[in-house]
Parts: sequence; structure tokens; C-alpha cells
Amino acid sequence: MRNAIAAAVAAAFVFSAAQAQQKPPPAWHQGKGPNMADSKLAPHAGKMTETPAADIPVKNLRMPAGFRAEVWASGLPGGRAMAVSEDGKKVWVGTRIIGRVYEVSDDGKTRAVRVVVDKLTQPAGVAYNKGSLYVFAIDKVLRYDGIAKNPGVQPADMTAKFDLPPEQHHNWKYIAFGPDGKLYVPFGSPCNICEPPTKEYGQIRRYNADGSGKEVLATGVRNSVGFDWHPKTKELWFTDHGRDWAGDDGPQDELNKISKIGQNFGFPYCHANGIPDPDIKKDGACKGVTRPVALMGPHAAAMGIKWYTGKMFPAEYRQSAFVVRKGSWNRSKPFGFDVIQVTPNEDGKGVKIRSFISGWNQDKDSYKFWGRPAYIAQMPDGALLVSDEQVGAIYRISYRAPAAKK
Amino acid sequence: MLRLHQGRWALLATAFFTSFCFSQNINLCSACHGADGNSITFGVPSIAGQPKLFIENQLVLFREGMRESDQMLAAMKGLKDPEIIKLAEHFSKLPAKAAPGTVQRDLFYKGQQLAMKNRCGICHLADFSGQQQVPRLAGQREEYLLAEMKAYRDNKRKGGDTIMAASLYGITDEEISALAHFLSRRVRKPVPR
Repeated sequence: MRNAIAAAVAAAFVFSAAQAQQKPPPAWHQGKGPNMADSKLAPHAGKMTETPAADIPVKNLRMPAGFRAEVWASGLPGGRAMAVSEDGKKVWVGTRIIGRVYEVSDDGKTRAVRVVVDKLTQPAGVAYNKGSLYVFAIDKVLRYDGIAKNPGVQPADMTAKFDLPPEQHHNWKYIAFGPDGKLYVPFGSPCNICEPPTKEYGQIRRYNADGSGKEVLATGVRNSVGFDWHPKTKELWFTDHGRDWAGDDGPQDELNKISKIGQNFGFPYCHANGIPDPDIKKDGACKGVTRPVALMGPHAAAMGIKWYTGKMFPAEYRQSAFVVRKGSWNRSKPFGFDVIQVTPNEDGKGVKIRSFISGWNQDKDSYKFWGRPAYIAQMPDGALLVSDEQVGAIYRISYRAPAAKK
Repeated sequence: MLRLHQGRWALLATAFFTSFCFSQNINLCSACHGADGNSITFGVPSIAGQPKLFIENQLVLFREGMRESDQMLAAMKGLKDPEIIKLAEHFSKLPAKAAPGTVQRDLFYKGQQLAMKNRCGICHLADFSGQQQVPRLAGQREEYLLAEMKAYRDNKRKGGDTIMAASLYGITDEEISALAHFLSRRVRKPVPR
């Protein structure tokens, strides 16, 4: 009996392999071998109801001396990437499942939250440029001109200009304008591990602000949802999530940089520091693949990155980027749930990594998190905003030199 | 003294009103989903014993108009988050019953194999009782499971995580029928062959 089942299962696999050649299946369970059948690892639950500020244990966050975290805004279920107006008085926040874009208005004392738009399919990408707010959902692009002054402005629908591909998985966005004034948009690979069905996935592209002039900057990118430009070299540094279901310890998430147009970052054949994929194989899997600048840890979910250019924090932070690791799920023990400081070594090779904020998951052996950090924005006064997608809140991180000891 | 009394009356009245509204909400749900949360209505899912967070999330998605249903949009109109949480708490605690109908053995075993192959039991748990944001499938109404799986596969069920659409990518109607049959008839212990 058991043999009969085994044979049937094997036949099913052969059948699906044959099917795979006709129609590449970017099914999410790709890469989940028979040894994973009893796994209990599943993506963590998001929360879509409001968490009152009083229920957010911000005092549990740990950071270096002199730094302080406070709940700056709350009541934004699912809030993640942030775009900040020039004066820092408006912050727009994208979401995924709940389909909303929020606007937080700061009057200097308190923050008010309103919903700018809802019912969108994962409007995760928000960017603010020359008075216009850009919103990228998986299947829609909207532009709100002059929204900071005119909150009721009707959006211009820009969708047709951006060539958005049909597959939805891993195609929620992080977007940002570069120092060249262009709009940078990632197109994730629509699976855990697969050869994407067409070439338009696994890329980072840039466009002119009006959607013209499309250029593919990077290929072989699994799912990047965070990037920023080095303030001196102007190179784009981006985070990229490693694949799941290949063990607790890897392949690790990547921190990459684009030093020339058209670089290939390896997906689906080559991961992290040159690890060939165990399922999708080809000869010379890692040949010609640009290696990451640094590894961000196994299943860490490295999200937002921000080079610090403010004046509020001590000088040592001005050579550094902050990277948010939202935290693992496809791993027996938790990893990440923190913000790290990444400082490139002076010889240009490799980086130093130091913990900056931790305390969202207080048990190193089990998943007991109360929040999950997602993105960072820098305010005009040099303070940082850190969004927490789990509790729908934004923290303000500020610095005051500790009083000198006598 | 008088003021104190008035305060007490106001409190009592508020408590009465809140519980009245809550029972009104429950009655509204029960009209379609069954008095005990186990649906006897074609096409309407059972909500008894579903994970609390799953119910919360779905009710928010209905209220927001993300998950499309005219009936549910109307039912959720004006409901605030705390009311949604209370409803989720209520129905998650009710015992789930198995869906009505007999077992077609061949279809059941085909569905069982497909569920193994597709690793449904990782997120939905080995007994398909669900967890957190992931719904209970065991004992759910067959025609409902069938319709929802098709909608996921065809990217027609909006407002969910893309993982379900990605998980059902390329699956055939026939396979979905077998999965729906197996899951709806699934009880705690495997049926001996």
C-alpha cells in the first residue's frame, strides 16, 4: 500500500516535471522537497486591525546609549514603506494586504492619520518627488500632484506607462527616486524558486518620472524590496531576500550594489556568496554573477536600507547605512527582527555590521515577537522614522549625547 | 450623590447597548453562517472554529471592499476594529462540525495525495485545522472550497496574500475538485481504506 502511494506520488512529481517544461510553474511550494512535508514553518500572520499606542511596548527596544525610541504615529495597520515631504510634516505610508495608503500629518505635537486611497492591490510602493506622491500597487500606478497642499487632489493614472507584468507574487513594490531624478522600480520573481515564466521578472528597472525611458539595471534579483544610494559614490545598494525551503541557515539574504548597468545577481541559479541552487540547476551556475557586498543573514527578510546623511546622530553614523531585518519565518529559530548599522570598510571590500535597534523578538530561541520593523526614513532634523508593519506604527529614533560622567 | 447615580445609569445603559449591538451583530452573521457558525447554506462557509486572526483579517478585508462580496460589504458597514475582534473571538471559540455529505473514496484519496504533494498541511497544519491567519479547511463546505480555490488560482480572489494564488498556480479544475472533496470530508483521524 505504502509502495503504491509512493509510486503515485513519484508519478505525480514526474508529471509535474513534464508539465513544468511546457509551462514553468512559479508555484510557491516549488523547492519544498518531500523532506519538508512535515515542516511547521509558515509565514507569520499579519495584523489588520489597529493597535492602540498604549499597547505597543516600545520601551522594550534596545539601542546604543543616547538613542531614544518613541511611538510617533499609530493606527496604520500594515504600514510599511514611507515617503516624506520636504518639510517632514507629511509622511505617506504604503501597505500590502489591507490595500491602503496612509498620510500622517504632523502639527509639531501630535500626528493625525488619514487614508489617501484604499482598495488597491498591495500598494506597497510610495515615493515623493517634486511635489508629487507616486503610489505603486501590483497592478496600478497613481500620481498625486501637489498633495501636500491639496489633500483632495485626484490622482493621475500612470499604469499604462510602466509595463507591469501579470504575475502578482513578489511583485509588490518598493520605489524611490534616485539622485539622477529617475524612478527606480523592482520586479520580483513570482515564486519561491523557479525560472521566471518570462524575462520581465527578477529585475530592477528605472524610468523617467513620467514612465518613459525604461531601462533594466539589474537581473537575477529574487525579491528586492529596499534600496538607497550611497551619498558619495551614488551607487545603488539594494537588499534581496534569499529563497526559502533550503534549510535553516541559508541561502542568506543579500546586500548588493549596482556598479554597472546590466549586472546579473544570480537568481534562480546562484545565491548569496556563490551557492548553486539545489533545485534549479545549470552548469556554471555562478559564472558571471555579481556577488553581494554583504550577507544579511538566513531568512532575515532584509527590507529597508537608508544611508544616514543627517546631523543629529554622532559622526560615526554618517559613513553608515541602516538596514531593517523584518525577521525570519522559514527557520526553526528566529533571526533578524532588528535594525543593523552597516559600515563599508575603508578598503572598499566588505562591511562591518553592528546591531542598532533590537528587542522586537525577545526570545532568541522562539518566535515571540510583538512587532516587526520594515522600513526607515530620515527626517529633516536628522531623526529616523522606523515603521512597524505588525502593529501598524511608526517609531521616531532620536539622539541626545549622554551627559558626560564626572 | 445624584451625579454618581446618573453616572451609574449611563454606564449600565452603555453596557446594555454594547451587548445589544453585539448580539445584533452575531444574529446577522448567524442568519447565513448558521446559528452555531456551521453553515447549512450552499456557498456560504462555516466560520465556527476558524482561527481568530483569520476571521479578523477576512472581516477587515470585506469591510474595506478588498475581498469582494456585496453581502459581506453590507454586513460589515460601519463596523469598527474592536467590534470585529469581538466577533472573531466569538466564532473562533465555537466547535466546528464536519461538512454534510458522503465520502467518495476515490476522489477522497486523490485529494489526499494532492494535499500531500502540494504541502497544504505546512501552513494549514497536518490536520488542516488552520492557524493564525491561515484558515481551517477540514470540514469546510465542499462547494465553497472548490469556488475559492478556483478564484485563487485565477487571481480572482483579491485581498489575500499572493501565496495562495502562487501555491495553486497551474492546478487543474479536476485536481481542485479532488482537493475540495478531501478537505471537506477530512476528519481528525484518517479514514481507513
